[in-house]
Amino acid sequence: MQLSIRDLSKRYANGVQALANVSLTVQPGMFGLLGPNGAGKSTLMRTLATLQSANSGTATLGDIDVLRQPGRVRALLGYLPQDFGVYPRVSAVDLLDHLARLKGLVDAKPRRETVDALLQRVNLFDVRKQKLGGFSGGMRQRFGIAQALLGDPKLVIVDEPTAGLDPEERVRFHNLLADIAADVVVILSTHIVSDVEDLCGQLAVIDKGRVLLTGKPGELVASLDQHIWRKVVDKSEAEALKAQLRVVSTRLQAGRTVVRAYGESCPGAGFEVTVPDLEDVYFSTIAGHLAAPAAQAA
Amino acid sequence: MTLLAIAWFDFSSRLRAVSTWVYFVLFAFLAGLWMAAAGGVFAGASVSFGGDKVLINGPYALAVCIAFLGFAGVTVIGSVAGRAVQQDFEYGTYHFFFSAPIAKRDYFFGRLLGAWLTLTLVFLSIVLGVVIAVHLPGIDSARIVAAPSWQSFLRPYLFLLLPNMLWLGGCFFVLAALTRQMTGVFVAGVLVLVGYIFAVNLLGDMDNKLLAAMVDPSGVTALDVLARYWTVAQKNGEEIALAGVFLWNRALWMGLGLLVVVVGYAMFRMQAVTAGRTRRRAAMVESSLPVEPTRTLAALPAATIDRSAGAYARMLPGLARLYCSEILRSPRFLAIVLAGVLLVLGNAATLGSLYGTNTWPLTYKVLDIVGGTFNLFVLIVTAIYAGELIWRERDTRIDDITDSMPAPTWLGFLAKVLALFGLQTALMLVVLLCSISVQLAKGYTRIELPLYLFELFVIHLPGFFLLAVFALTVHTLINNKYLGHFVALLLFIVVSRMADFGYEDRLYRFASRPNLVYSDLNGYGHFLPAVFWFRLYWGAFAGLLLVFTYALWVRGRDSGWRPRLRAVVGRMTPVAWSLAGVAGVVFVATGSFIYYNTHVLNPYVSRKEGQQLRADYERKYKALSGVPQPKVTAVDLRTDVFPEQNRVRIAGTLSLANKSTQPIKDIYLHYPPTAQAHALEFSVPARLVEETPAMHWHHYALGTPLPPGGVATLRFDFEYGAKGFRNDGADPVVLGNGALINTGFTPETALVPSFGYNPAAELTSDNDRRKHGLAPRSRMPDLDDPAEQRQSALTRDADFIDYRATVCTSADQFPVTSGYVKRDWTENGRRCISYAMDTPMAAIYPVLSGRYAHRRDVWKGPNGDVAIEIDYHPGHEFNLDRMVAGAKDSLAYFTAHYGPYQHKLLRIIEFPRFRRSGGFAASFPNTVPFNEAIGFTAKVDDRDPKDIDYPYFVTAHEVAHQWWAHQETPANVQGAEFITESLAEYSALMVLKQKYGDAKMRRFLKHELDRYLMGRGLEQKGEQPLLRADGAAYIHYQKGALTLYALQDAIGEAAMDDALSAFLKRWHFKGPPYPTSRDLLAELKRVTPAEHQGLIEDFFETITLYDSRAVSAQARKRPDGRHDVDLVVTARKIRADSTGKEADAPLSMQMDIGVQDAKGNFLVLEKRAVKTGENRFTLVVDGVPVRAGVDPLHKLIDRDAGDNVVKVEVL
Repeated sequence: MQLSIRDLSKRYANGVQALANVSLTVQPGMFGLLGPNGAGKSTLMRTLATLQSANSGTATLGDIDVLRQPGRVRALLGYLPQDFGVYPRVSAVDLLDHLARLKGLVDAKPRRETVDALLQRVNLFDVRKQKLGGFSGGMRQRFGIAQALLGDPKLVIVDEPTAGLDPEERVRFHNLLADIAADVVVILSTHIVSDVEDLCGQLAVIDKGRVLLTGKPGELVASLDQHIWRKVVDKSEAEALKAQLRVVSTRLQAGRTVVRAYGESCPGAGFEVTVPDLEDVYFSTIAGHLAAPAAQAA
Repeated sequence: MTLLAIAWFDFSSRLRAVSTWVYFVLFAFLAGLWMAAAGGVFAGASVSFGGDKVLINGPYALAVCIAFLGFAGVTVIGSVAGRAVQQDFEYGTYHFFFSAPIAKRDYFFGRLLGAWLTLTLVFLSIVLGVVIAVHLPGIDSARIVAAPSWQSFLRPYLFLLLPNMLWLGGCFFVLAALTRQMTGVFVAGVLVLVGYIFAVNLLGDMDNKLLAAMVDPSGVTALDVLARYWTVAQKNGEEIALAGVFLWNRALWMGLGLLVVVVGYAMFRMQAVTAGRTRRRAAMVESSLPVEPTRTLAALPAATIDRSAGAYARMLPGLARLYCSEILRSPRFLAIVLAGVLLVLGNAATLGSLYGTNTWPLTYKVLDIVGGTFNLFVLIVTAIYAGELIWRERDTRIDDITDSMPAPTWLGFLAKVLALFGLQTALMLVVLLCSISVQLAKGYTRIELPLYLFELFVIHLPGFFLLAVFALTVHTLINNKYLGHFVALLLFIVVSRMADFGYEDRLYRFASRPNLVYSDLNGYGHFLPAVFWFRLYWGAFAGLLLVFTYALWVRGRDSGWRPRLRAVVGRMTPVAWSLAGVAGVVFVATGSFIYYNTHVLNPYVSRKEGQQLRADYERKYKALSGVPQPKVTAVDLRTDVFPEQNRVRIAGTLSLANKSTQPIKDIYLHYPPTAQAHALEFSVPARLVEETPAMHWHHYALGTPLPPGGVATLRFDFEYGAKGFRNDGADPVVLGNGALINTGFTPETALVPSFGYNPAAELTSDNDRRKHGLAPRSRMPDLDDPAEQRQSALTRDADFIDYRATVCTSADQFPVTSGYVKRDWTENGRRCISYAMDTPMAAIYPVLSGRYAHRRDVWKGPNGDVAIEIDYHPGHEFNLDRMVAGAKDSLAYFTAHYGPYQHKLLRIIEFPRFRRSGGFAASFPNTVPFNEAIGFTAKVDDRDPKDIDYPYFVTAHEVAHQWWAHQETPANVQGAEFITESLAEYSALMVLKQKYGDAKMRRFLKHELDRYLMGRGLEQKGEQPLLRADGAAYIHYQKGALTLYALQDAIGEAAMDDALSAFLKRWHFKGPPYPTSRDLLAELKRVTPAEHQGLIEDFFETITLYDSRAVSAQARKRPDGRHDVDLVVTARKIRADSTGKEADAPLSMQMDIGVQDAKGNFLVLEKRAVKTGENRFTLVVDGVPVRAGVDPLHKLIDRDAGDNVVKVEVL
């Protein structure tokens, strides 16, 4: 089942253009949606999760019109919102059971088994009887993924899932996601490049509501081969370089600044060519150094 | 500085919020609407500030308006002040403030100040609304102060609104800041409201007025108590002052507010988590994800997934139960329920109190609480929880998850509707339990469970369901929780008060239904079907609302109107359409049926049209009021009552005589348009010339004029019956049990034809008259109107008549009317009794029919036996003994003191209540219909010194009317009630005094004084002295009782008897001309010794008030062991004009001077001469003096009776 988005646009009442002619094709497997804060990721996710309407454009999941047939989408959907709350006085198992019923798991016994199994999967089984009000951010996030996996979803949307997690927990979380991504469309939105690098077969970079780039991480990195140059400079010089060159990123290293710049040839004295990584792809795209040829190709 | 910056930031961001301006506009609108309605902008509106004469922008009206609306703003105060800090927690912004270098003081008080500033601004809109409204076109210039003082606006704002904003705002602020939730604010808000309702109920008993004034958090009741005795002139001319209980009330609640703010400030911590939370978190086992997944997803057990509508439908009850139980178990709801319980119990404490005496907690009496104040409570809970349910997911921020679940939208929607219904059902159960507990606690064990269940769950609950749907619709449309609460409540009030603004038709008043009053005699009677039809009609409309609300239900993040409207298309499935279709069809069908009943079968007359009709009647026919009409000299009736069919057929022959000096050519016959005339014929040739049935007017011209002294008869045969129902419910013309048929004692709806222009049909309110271009009119013809002096005040149609009647009714009922039973038989399975009166009598006679038990007794009088009979409803035996005793003692006293009873029988007949208030008893020749709500169900505790035996008293009053109304009948001029009602009241008091002693009278007269002084402020026309009493109850009952009793106290019972018996003898069955108050006064003057002659003028000829005050009392022990008491008192006499404007008058009279011991016994009580100003007395007493003063028993009319006595200082 493939998800295709065509020319999706959304403008909010306050005038913000959250999505501008977004077109994407997403195959089963993990799909990373990269973008800075405010890029329109959450708007896109919520639109796909049937929580929001669009001004124009289409989105289809298999033969389902996502915008017009929300009921059919919801039957296939697992959604973990970026920010959500839980009833503080309800236990994990009770809330998950309640949500399972809403997902259509009608028979009590198998539903209970599914709930227990999912709680085990996210390792909340031992605390299942405890009130959600006492859960830590990580535990709550895991509860969120458990509910997203209820009812055998075919489209899983996870919005900034690792935001509150410590590095270790992030790794485990990724494993869990990778585990389910076999024949399911999983869309992961994040602003952390390494999340995508580790997990996703495909990615798209969006900013200011526009898709800037799509492709496979490996191919995109390869396309920058021999185009990324590196130089260690003083802080003052870095500022000057920023004005002159197509600087991709600057990073402090032991008190000095490492400047990475984009260039088909050596951009200046002291620059040496370096091995590109996905971050370079992302930053170059955001900075506008990379056109989006892949987007058209998709 | 930081403090101010925070406050300003808060305030200015509120200024940018839409909700602030919505509140602003709504309050301005409400104030304007109220003023406009009271100012006469809406035709047919019945809104006023207590009396036609209270000017709408006068100080009192403004105070009431501002105070009341301000109090209605308690939800706004909660939302603005409560959210001030709580929203920092809700949105997580507290991190910034708490980690910033801001002192707690600056943050806390800055926020509080910001909230206060906002509220100050919002509530200024009330003043704005008032000012605008006063200038609207259509405002009656006679109802406004031309140049209102700015003080009249400022003072209520300063004394009521601002303090409430400060202290309530402070409390709400602190509650929300400390708990970091709005729960406490909701509960506190409900408690405040309960306090107000409780205070209003307490005020029902005047002894509680201080307590009532204090417990009302809004200060409105305190203002009421302060202004309780204000006359119209004071209400329009005196600015409200922060004094007395009003000051104490404000101080109490401001103090509480201050305390809460101080304590709250001390307890407030600028920390992310409070200690309690940390502990809870610590108890939690922290776990983490396994490094490697232990199982794959495929290993998840396969659960059956069924997403059919049927599967989700089966989920509905469970989900509704979940929502409902979540609320039911929440501490907030428990607190609210507790408040409701307190309310019910508090109301039950003064259940049905009359003269400070309780009634038995009959089931219907207890249930009246639900119909009354508890109603408001349910409304508030409904409005709030409708919002809570709608916002349940969004408040928790789990809405993204649940809204993207595949469950259909209708599932959550319907579950919430049902949950709200469940909540209301739970409240009804609470009422049920409370009510039964109240009954049991009062030792009443006749629990009528079926009645409870029917009234609560069949009558009330469906009405609450309608409001629940309405509240959900409002919240869905508004889509802002706090604004939604406010708007929902506002609309509840507007919808329920529409009729007062002249929009009366229940076809467009949501959830309205005709009143339904249960009676032990008549049950719900034939009033029930109309209620069900209206319920069905509005139920169908609620069905439409449900579909509409469902279609616009917010799911997902789209809150704008365009996407919501777009979603409607998807929501409106064929099922939804067909549900809407069914509801629509039922709505139209029932609506048509109701329309047929209320507009076709029964003519629909709105208040405005009714007023127009009366105005037109007066203009058209008033000129004919002087045309002589024949007088009825004898009545022979045949009345067939069909109680099961709510139908009566009245046939009869009226003997007529021309008692005037001119020939009678034209007869103006009056009877209602509801009459179905089977026959109507004069014994002389007569021709119908003109008729206006809607005005009851039928003009016959006689073929040959009836000469003076000439006689004729009129034979009529009319039928009346309830046909379907009217907008105000079924026609109460004939009740199923205990029917009291109005043959003519209420002229406007008299079923027996009457003669001539009927002044009772004229518009009475001067405001209404002005609106219809009519000159103001007095309530009664002038005392010296010679024509009216020849009219009996009891009926215009006759002087004294011969009366006989046959009444037939169903076999199981007892037919009764005035007179003596001549024949009692069964005819075609129906019970018939013939009655005849053996002496001439006043031409008013009731006809009743009911299933009665009979209590019979005999009073052996000096002129033979008098049979006493009480026809009562089985089960209402509570006070039969008291009533019999009252009848016997009265007959004995009146016979001995005034003259013999004219009949051989005295019959008291119980009849049902069919209005919630205003039960009455009325005295007809030898027959007294007596409402079940007044006396039959009183619970008199003889051991309680506070209790008044009013079944005994009311009986005595009605028996007294057999003398004062029936033996002497007054002329139809001012003062008529003085020689009927005041004398009956006085006579009954003397009987009561003989049985219970003078002390009990004092207790009774305290109530009468309170009600007299209060009545003055509600005067619609102008206060008259007793000599010109003109139908205002507070004058002829209360002032009459007070003054006649006080005169008796001064001149003695014997002198009174001398005057009254002479008056009675002079006017015994005399008329025309009939006696007037001047005739009685002449007798009273005759028997009053010179030193008390001034009382006649003070009591009866003028409006006089006394202001006596004890200044100091010092006692010195004498060598002989007794005490000298030096008493200083001041005294003042005040004369008031008809509006209540006062002027001092010189005082020189005999007043009581008394000294009491510790137990309250009088060591000395004697009359002494008192003059205006300071008076000094020295009294010698035995025993130890404790209290001393002037007029210690409050015999005189004195607004501040509390200062008449002081503590004695023993030197």
